[in-house]
Amino acid sequence: MGFLRSEKKAPTPASTSPCANLRAAYDKCFNRWYSEKFLKGQWDKEECVSEWNKYRDCLSQHLDDKHLARFLEAEGIGNMIHQVDASSPKGAPT
Amino acid sequence: MVRAYSQEHTFKHPWERVTSASWRKFADPENKRVLSHILEVDTLNRKLDSESGKLYTTRAITIHAPGPWFVRKIVGQDICHCVESTVVDGQSRSMQLATRNISMQKFIEVEEKIRYDPHPENPTEWTICKQETSIRIRPFSALASMAEKIEQRCVDRFQQNSAKGREVMERICKYLEAESRGIKI
Repeated sequence: MGFLRSEKKAPTPASTSPCANLRAAYDKCFNRWYSEKFLKGQWDKEECVSEWNKYRDCLSQHLDDKHLARFLEAEGIGNMIHQVDASSPKGAPT
Repeated sequence: MVRAYSQEHTFKHPWERVTSASWRKFADPENKRVLSHILEVDTLNRKLDSESGKLYTTRAITIHAPGPWFVRKIVGQDICHCVESTVVDGQSRSMQLATRNISMQKFIEVEEKIRYDPHPENPTEWTICKQETSIRIRPFSALASMAEKIEQRCVDRFQQNSAKGREVMERICKYLEAESRGIKI
């Protein structure tokens, strides 16, 4: 997407996400599972569970900072957000 | 007023490879340079329905969308959050993505829908991609008087960015093709 982008070449801010490494590990695992299992009709179980849990825990700690929890709550999207609210000791999103 | 447009593109790669590429589109560091407006992509939720072979995914996409100075002044931010929902139907071989902005909604609503299906003329080797985008400046918002101009600008921007996105998809497909043959590039 990327509407309203200026003509000038803006400097690209590097990924500042504190979860970038865990995200990369999960994405790598998911991509392998998708190509090697899901696409071959092996739908019986999801893999990458430990990668997912680590990544999700990190995300739930930092989601507030990114103001995403508020947006998603408004949209009523995702069971994950409720899990995040329940497990996050940092309290409710703003 | 809503401005909508649609695009179609044929990838001369099988559906399996194209949808694998779609998942990798924003992650690869080399592609990040081309798709520099994409700042972060986080998976928020993923669910596999093992009965039907459907995979549901919700991702948060953060986009750098600075715009011209007068728009920036009104909107007051140049980072836009979007939510992307994807359903992959492994049984019927279809992938559908829908992306919507969830910030700046006071001013603008953008919805993008993409579908990847096996190409009817060559279903085992080719993939057809259909993309629909609609852009709407909210009436009565501070941007309303400039709506037409801004909407057109958005459309131009979208078309440029989706051309870049296709370029990236083609490159990842080639890479995956080489990888599947055991060649490193």
